[in-house]
Amino acid sequence: MRAFAYERPTTLQGAVALLAEHGSEARLLAGGTDLIIRLRDGSIAPRIVVDLKRIAELDGQIREHDGGLTIGARAVMTDIAADGRIRRDYRALAEAAAVVGSVQIRNRATLAGNICNASPAADTAPALLVYGARVIAAGPAGTRRIPIDAFFVRSGVTTLARGELVTAIELPRPTSRPGSVHLRRTRRRGHDLASVTLACAVRADGVTQLAYGSLGPRPVLVSDETGLLADPTAPELAKMRRLEALFVGASPSPRSMRASPEYRLAMLHVLGLRAVGTAIERLAQGSVPR
Amino acid sequence: MTMRQRIELTVNGRIRSVEVAPHHTLLDVLRDDLGLTGTKECCLVGECGACTVLVDDLAVDSCLMLGVEADGASVTTVEGLATGDKLHPLQEAFLETGAAQCGFCIPGQLLAAAALLANDPHPTRAAVEEGLAGNLCRCAGYEQIIEAVVVAARAGASES
Amino acid sequence: MTDPCVGMSPRRVGGRDRVTGRQAYVADIHLDDVLHAKLVSLDCARARIITVDTSAALAVPGVRLVMTAADLPQPVPRFGPQFQDRPVLAAGETHYHGEPLAAIAAETKDAAEEATRLVRIEYEELPAVFTIAGALDPMAPLVQDPALRPGDRLARSNVLREHHYGWGDVDAASADVVVEGTYAFPMVTQFAIEPHGFIAAPDSDGIAVWSSIQHPNWLQRVIASLLHLPLAKVRIFAPDPGGGFGGKQHAKYEPLVAFMALRAGRPVRLVLTLEETFQAVRRGASEIHVRSGFRSDGGLVFRDIEANYLIGAYADIADRTVAKGSYTSNGPYRVPAVRIVARSILSHTTPSTAFRGFGNPQQIWAVESNMDEAARALGIDPLALRLQNLAHPGEAFIPGDTPADGDWARTVERAAELIGWGSPPAPGRGRGLAVGLKSGPTTGLSNSIVRLLADGSVIVYAGTSDMGQGARTIFAQIAADELGAPLDWVTVVMGDTAVVPYDQQTSASRSSVFMGNSILLACRDIQAKIRAMAARLEPVDEAAVVVERGEVRIGGRVTPIRDVLVRGLGRLGGELIGIGEMRKEAEPEHPLGGTAAFFEFNCTAVEVEVDRETGDVVVARHVTVSDVGKAMNPIQVRGQDEGAAIMGLGHTLMEHIIHDEAGRIRNLGAIDYRIPTSLDLPLRMESDFVENADGPGPYGAKGMSEGALLCVAPAVAAAVHDATGVRIRDLPLSPERVWRALHDAAESPDAGAPEAIDAR
Ligand SMILES: Cc1cc2nc3c(=O)[nH]c(=O)nc-3n(C[C@@H](O)[C@@H](O)[C@H](O)COP(=O)(O)OP(=O)(O)OC[C@H]3O[C@@H](n4cnc5c(N)ncnc54)[C@H](O)[C@@H]3O)c2cc1C
Ligand code: FES
Ligand code: FES
Repeated sequence: MRAFAYERPTTLQGAVALLAEHGSEARLLAGGTDLIIRLRDGSIAPRIVVDLKRIAELDGQIREHDGGLTIGARAVMTDIAADGRIRRDYRALAEAAAVVGSVQIRNRATLAGNICNASPAADTAPALLVYGARVIAAGPAGTRRIPIDAFFVRSGVTTLARGELVTAIELPRPTSRPGSVHLRRTRRRGHDLASVTLACAVRADGVTQLAYGSLGPRPVLVSDETGLLADPTAPELAKMRRLEALFVGASPSPRSMRASPEYRLAMLHVLGLRAVGTAIERLAQGSVPR
Repeated sequence: MTMRQRIELTVNGRIRSVEVAPHHTLLDVLRDDLGLTGTKECCLVGECGACTVLVDDLAVDSCLMLGVEADGASVTTVEGLATGDKLHPLQEAFLETGAAQCGFCIPGQLLAAAALLANDPHPTRAAVEEGLAGNLCRCAGYEQIIEAVVVAARAGASES
Repeated sequence: MTDPCVGMSPRRVGGRDRVTGRQAYVADIHLDDVLHAKLVSLDCARARIITVDTSAALAVPGVRLVMTAADLPQPVPRFGPQFQDRPVLAAGETHYHGEPLAAIAAETKDAAEEATRLVRIEYEELPAVFTIAGALDPMAPLVQDPALRPGDRLARSNVLREHHYGWGDVDAASADVVVEGTYAFPMVTQFAIEPHGFIAAPDSDGIAVWSSIQHPNWLQRVIASLLHLPLAKVRIFAPDPGGGFGGKQHAKYEPLVAFMALRAGRPVRLVLTLEETFQAVRRGASEIHVRSGFRSDGGLVFRDIEANYLIGAYADIADRTVAKGSYTSNGPYRVPAVRIVARSILSHTTPSTAFRGFGNPQQIWAVESNMDEAARALGIDPLALRLQNLAHPGEAFIPGDTPADGDWARTVERAAELIGWGSPPAPGRGRGLAVGLKSGPTTGLSNSIVRLLADGSVIVYAGTSDMGQGARTIFAQIAADELGAPLDWVTVVMGDTAVVPYDQQTSASRSSVFMGNSILLACRDIQAKIRAMAARLEPVDEAAVVVERGEVRIGGRVTPIRDVLVRGLGRLGGELIGIGEMRKEAEPEHPLGGTAAFFEFNCTAVEVEVDRETGDVVVARHVTVSDVGKAMNPIQVRGQDEGAAIMGLGHTLMEHIIHDEAGRIRNLGAIDYRIPTSLDLPLRMESDFVENADGPGPYGAKGMSEGALLCVAPAVAAAVHDATGVRIRDLPLSPERVWRALHDAAESPDAGAPEAIDAR
């Protein structure tokens, strides 16, 4: 690993100032599970690494607000997967967090880091998309809320401005408690980066939202408002047709060695249909986890 | 070369003060600066778990954490599991079931198992498989490793 | 006699250090004044090196040495266990992705790493070959300079060697049913959790080298000959490898580090990254065409095998894996006519080398898959077809070689019984079964020394490497029983050529047999001295004294060896020294240079679940049964068998090295080269062994550490076929590959039928 300077600001203002001063020469460090790998493989070589774990205003708490939840930038996957409220009301997010890497990874990996890293395969992104999460960012110009769908640009790129950092992620109060689920495809049962990662939420009002990752430069949200997917009695073939229409935008890279585009696309549909089925069941059961 | 920074951390119950380079990982600090070579180095990308240590009682891959991040933390390595000559029940169980073959993955397995039992004193087999999934064993003594964790749990490993 | 230790499962000798972190692997060894080395390589498979400018690298503070081929004796020294073809550093041309052409030694790892980035290399990328078809193309660039193989008619091709084996007349054989197919086995890598590490330190008149090596004495020869030193001035320390699996058998970068240490006049250490380890060792890939002829009653009448193995840029021991794996490729069957052609084909890829199974898993994948296809074609149960054709004990199933040395049918029947072969599998599941046979060592030499000290404690000196197989424990068990010492009174010294006598190698599951016998003989040597001692003390005629398994018997009276020893050594004390030697001479007329010391035999039976929509294969049950002759330590036998089984599941379900168009390894490292984790185990694993005390080792033991890996892939593929009707002849059976096969089968129902079933 190349040498760099290390700073550990204790205030948000201090961190923002460091980012503003060093621009692209600075990198934020949260859990480091993406960052340190890239520092070692030389794909980035910042002059300064800014550790955000001592910033007083940032924490790893998961707080209730207006019936929703606010997840602090330092909250790690282990805590998210174990949180009773998330498991109850945002179950796909809990499920996604629970499959990110191994225990060791989940003890360090933050939700904020997962989305800021903006890998198309980020497992928590689809769940955040179907729940309509908002990213709270602080920067030189103050604080703003970015709808998660407006946050991702392409692999490694978000709409965070220079000097901005994510302080928390907000999950709005569910309009009704949806039935939801996260599913993914990997090359083995043990942890792996997903070749398809997908979340689905079926709402009581008949709207179904699906979001998927690993099939293009950024995770994608689609929505079925016809009520067809949510209808437990609708024939499978009709649902498949609907999914095909919803998933037309999927454009997996032909260059990946993890899976071919054909396989990814086929699995997107298989998982989509399975997810809809599970979400409908969960909606009916009131989405109480085992 | 950047300035080294002084950090203070507790390693296996002893307070240690060391100067570390910011770009050195906790694994580098343990092995090279503190001479604790029980923690192993393999993939350096968080996949194999050979470098697993406990940081404030949580299992982490020490190859994915900077040494400077451990400032103020309490770190347990395999060298800190036994109490004097008395082995930790997990160490006993690993010997008893024949879980240690070449032994290279074992320090990491032991610490992952210790963390698992601290959270879940009587885990199911599925929970052990999940808890140790971040620790590769190419000798693939997984069956015997899982058995050892179950044996240790029965012996009350989490209480020690 | 005291309770026997052999046959029991005492705790592993050396186990305590393994669970406390005290075990010092090569990377844990710290020498004062050591320099840290890093390799410099190019990001392409093959290149002509035009210039190498080291000035900027040398200017990095702390850098002491930047070594290139120009700094080595000229012509650049080459080495290799079969052919002296591997240069210490690439000279003029690099031949595979990751081949070092320079190396840095610096005071710190950081400085060495920084310097690697500053070596300026001007080079021209050259066309290269990475596949069997590409390498065999008449227009293909030659991997090896023909000058390295003077007089070899194959020198102007990429075929390093072509082997022909067989008996009977295949062309004249008349079969009712002929089944043929081509089966591909991917490139896979050993992935020992310990990356390779090397240290060299000059001393006053020689050199010491530390390496996680399986064959320290072989390494000693290589270093001595490259440095023109007498063997006695080359001291090899071989700390226990953190897993070897064949990848650590032969010298890799030890010669480089030795030259660097001599030039720097200081110790130099090089610990590879896992990525560099992947670039240093792998298994040969293969495409094997099998044609088997049967009578309609299932009797095999001929087998015709053509095997192409893709080896790497240097031969290492790869051609030997091809020869040995192919020689027994017909398997444990009685077949009147067999023809085998096997080629080792050079390519611009990582040199392939020994890897658990040594050339056999590729052949067994092909031949056992073909057997399963034949069973379906013949309408005979796959188990019955195996049993019908299996060689009986004592049968000369390979003419001119060791006859069948086990009751193999018992092993197969045991596996069938455990999986419940006769009963239908759970709904939706499929079953498959296969057998694996591997020839043990063909030659060997293991020396040992055993010292019985004055208090009855024992020191054993053995040159075997304990890389997890537990050799140290077995040796201690043998010595404890033979000399009547408690196990914890036995010390086993290994891994230092200045102290431990010669051992040829730790490979081919030989150590329990070869070194085990050698130690047994050394103990017998001591027993003879005890016998003389007892006769003198008594006094009786020596003929009246029996010394056996720790005890001295004179008439009806039994005395522990220790009591006789203490009295016999008298006031001066001292010790008794026993010397053991087990040798198996080469037989120059034999196609492999020697007959098999024993055969490893395994039967694997599995039950799988296949998700038809995703292609996921879950091994619900995995039964592995090995013929071990005698389980000297049942827990260790189980560890070896289950470990080998899971390693086999790796190449069966997920492992393969992927190259890009330029011959670079795309899945270089642990993120994208997947091996099984604790979540990838069979839902149920059952291992068992058959003991008939019919092996050549101590107490009837046979070698056994590779068997359970040999036939995992064909057993699983047969089960996938049983569950889905789809036949897959390429590994790994990754979800995508299985999905694709199911998909293709749905579109064209003939897909998956044998390439040819020719029923006459
Ligand atoms: C072995 C292994 C397995 C993995 N498996 C999975 C998996 O299955 N699924 C999956 O989705 N991911 C997986 N990951 C990646 C996952 O661990 C990361 O994406 C993680 O969530 C990132 O969080 P972090 O806290 O570690 O971020 P870091 O590595 O610290 O940072 C990641 C990036 O985000 C930036 N950043 C971090 N926090 C902020 C912030 N608050 N504001 C602005 N920018 C910020 C950093 O500058 C950096 O560019 C795996 C990683 C490893 C090593
Ligand atoms: S070395 Fe840290 S996880 Fe492999
Ligand atoms: S014991 Fe060898 S890798 Fe686990």
